[in-house]
Amino acid sequence: MSYSVNISVEATIENQIQEIQYDGTEIYQPPLTLSESLAKYAQKIDFSKTSEVDIKKEESSEDSKSDTDSKDAFQSSIWPWDSVRTKLRSSLQEICVLADVLAIAKEKRYLVLDPVQQEPLETKPMVQIYARKKALGGAANVLLAGAEKMKNSQTEAARNRTTLDFHIELLRLRQNWRLKKVSNTIIGDLSYRTTGSKYLQTGTFEVTKAEDEEKPSSPPSSPLPGGPIPSKPNSALRVSIPTELQGVAYIEVLCQKDQEDLCSVNLNLMGTAPPPSNPDMHWQQKLEAAQNVLFCKELFNQLAKEAVQLQAPIPHMVVGNQIMATVLPGIQLIIGLRHSTSGDKKQQTPPPSKSDHDHVLEHSLHQLLREVHHKNTHHPFPHPATGPLGPSKKRMLAGPLAADRHELLEMTKTQTLLEQIVQQAQHFIMRMRTEYVLDTIAKEVKDPLISSHWNTLNSPTHSCVKIHISTHGYDAVCRTPLIIHVGEKSLKCICRDGKVMNMSYEPQELRDLIFCHISQHQIVAVQALAKTMGWQALGNSNHLGTGAVEPLGNSSSCLLSSPTGDRIIAVRCEPQAGPQVSVAHSPRTDFFPSRLVTERKWEHLGGQFRDVRLDKMEGRNFLHKMELLMASLTSNS
Amino acid sequence: MSIPRSLPQSKEALLKSYRTRLKDDVKSMLENFEEIVKLSKGEHDTQLSRMTQCEQDTYEMHVRAANIVRAGESLMKLVSDIKQYLILNDFPSVNEAITQNSKLFRTKQAECDQKLMSLRDDMAADLYDLEEEYYSSINK
Repeated sequence: MSYSVNISVEATIENQIQEIQYDGTEIYQPPLTLSESLAKYAQKIDFSKTSEVDIKKEESSEDSKSDTDSKDAFQSSIWPWDSVRTKLRSSLQEICVLADVLAIAKEKRYLVLDPVQQEPLETKPMVQIYARKKALGGAANVLLAGAEKMKNSQTEAARNRTTLDFHIELLRLRQNWRLKKVSNTIIGDLSYRTTGSKYLQTGTFEVTKAEDEEKPSSPPSSPLPGGPIPSKPNSALRVSIPTELQGVAYIEVLCQKDQEDLCSVNLNLMGTAPPPSNPDMHWQQKLEAAQNVLFCKELFNQLAKEAVQLQAPIPHMVVGNQIMATVLPGIQLIIGLRHSTSGDKKQQTPPPSKSDHDHVLEHSLHQLLREVHHKNTHHPFPHPATGPLGPSKKRMLAGPLAADRHELLEMTKTQTLLEQIVQQAQHFIMRMRTEYVLDTIAKEVKDPLISSHWNTLNSPTHSCVKIHISTHGYDAVCRTPLIIHVGEKSLKCICRDGKVMNMSYEPQELRDLIFCHISQHQIVAVQALAKTMGWQALGNSNHLGTGAVEPLGNSSSCLLSSPTGDRIIAVRCEPQAGPQVSVAHSPRTDFFPSRLVTERKWEHLGGQFRDVRLDKMEGRNFLHKMELLMASLTSNS
Repeated sequence: MSIPRSLPQSKEALLKSYRTRLKDDVKSMLENFEEIVKLSKGEHDTQLSRMTQCEQDTYEMHVRAANIVRAGESLMKLVSDIKQYLILNDFPSVNEAITQNSKLFRTKQAECDQKLMSLRDDMAADLYDLEEEYYSSINK
């Protein structure tokens, strides 16, 4: 600095040109006065800068101080706020100064604020233009970026057909389910209300747009050959179902004999094994499953209500998710609601059911509830313009037809679901028993063949079986038909001669009846056979009064005589013991006069009967043996 | 009965709101664009210094450009909202879909019934024969 030379800088002597007139004269700006130039220079001093420097200096010194004190600062909680305090203090100072300045300016007693002439800034039009250009460029960039983003999202949606468009999905959903918009959310309804259900539980679900959370996983899959290999499109739509409708439900119907299962039927609307309710299931399946849950719940609720209300001789029991109803003595019908959410699905072992069981009970339970639904919405025509909907056509006609109280009471009687299903279960058991009895008899009894043909047309509570009793090889000779109507708790048998027998649910009664008919069949068949052989039927009785008392039914018998009349065959058939055959020769071939029978003519009265040991005879069956017997007796004469 | 009467009103209001949204957005786009163009002319006398003015203009242009973009996105949203509204409230098409579905299911049902019937008939005939055979055979 010692070599420094003082350089004095002075303002140019010439004043700035303010204006040049057309004639060329230049008008100069008047030079600044002393006070003006003082003011101008004073204005250039930045007071705040100096003070800031001071403050910075102070701060730095304080920082160093606070560094040293930092160890103490851990103990004292005042120090962390120290910087705030100093800032506040400096701002207070400035405010105070400002207030002072304002006060001074207002008072105008000590000081006057003088306007300082600003030095006009040099205008640089090019800079301005550049700035504006830059600004416009920035704005254009913003616009382009926005447009690009929109375009991208459009093309992405158009090209990426794997994720279906939300609106298309929504349209499909709308076509199959009821939806409505409530404020900002789309609410759907999967209950059976519109089809006539009166169940209180709501089946609402919410539809949301699926967020692109699987996006990070999809880019790695897209480079695979063939592009969208995971052709299962992850839907752009998500449905959220209330927790009580999630999972899989079905209604289990069991017929139990004391403790052992007679039959078990598992039913669910989904048909086969219910699919696991994983979160990425398609919404259609998800909703269907939820609807099924709702349906099963309603069905069970209805059944439970009826079970409690019904006055049955043996009261129905409702325990938890199970209804127990007595169908026939010793046989219970158990209806249970099984609802498994995805969590405990694995633990629940499927009940040991014969899965290939007939699903009549399953189907009918569903049918019954649907019928109720249908009745709730489909009222019989004509609909009255005024007055309640719902009374049956019969009841609407009750007025004009002047029905009496009894008739009206009859009309109000309706069968509940539980009653109907109990009836069907009863019928089911009755049918099974009948089948069993017929099959065992057919197996036990070889001689007359017992064949049964089940009618294919039947109703859930009524079926019919046709039984033929015939002898092998002699079908054309004689055949005893029987028809058994299987009802809910009783059997009705229509016999060959048109007699109607009513039986209870005990299978033994049917068994006895069949055995009686077998024995009668044998007698009738023998007579028919005799007719073809030229023998004469002397007499027959279906209910023979003689002989030992039968344990069941009556024995039947017939008496046949040979064409020449010299041989007589007596046949007696007992339901239990089977046929007995005796033969009498009426004149004997040799005659020895005795003291009682002195003449040969008395021999025409007929002689003693001698038993034929059928089991020693040749022949496939009874009728065959009889044929052989008759033939031999005929040829001998 | 008040619900069906009030429903069209609310629907009307909704549609009106859609219309106003559309107009507002388009207007906002136009206005913002005009403003940008005006700004780029840069003929306005202010008390601010030039640099500040430049900065302000830049900022304003950015904001206005962003506004245009926002209006565009809003229009997209409007389109999506209108689509949704149409889907949810287009009852004729829904009815058509329902009729179509029910027709489809009815034909399917008839088909199934017919198939079941023929199957039943076949099975009944076969069952009769089988029963006949079974009951007249020795091996029961």
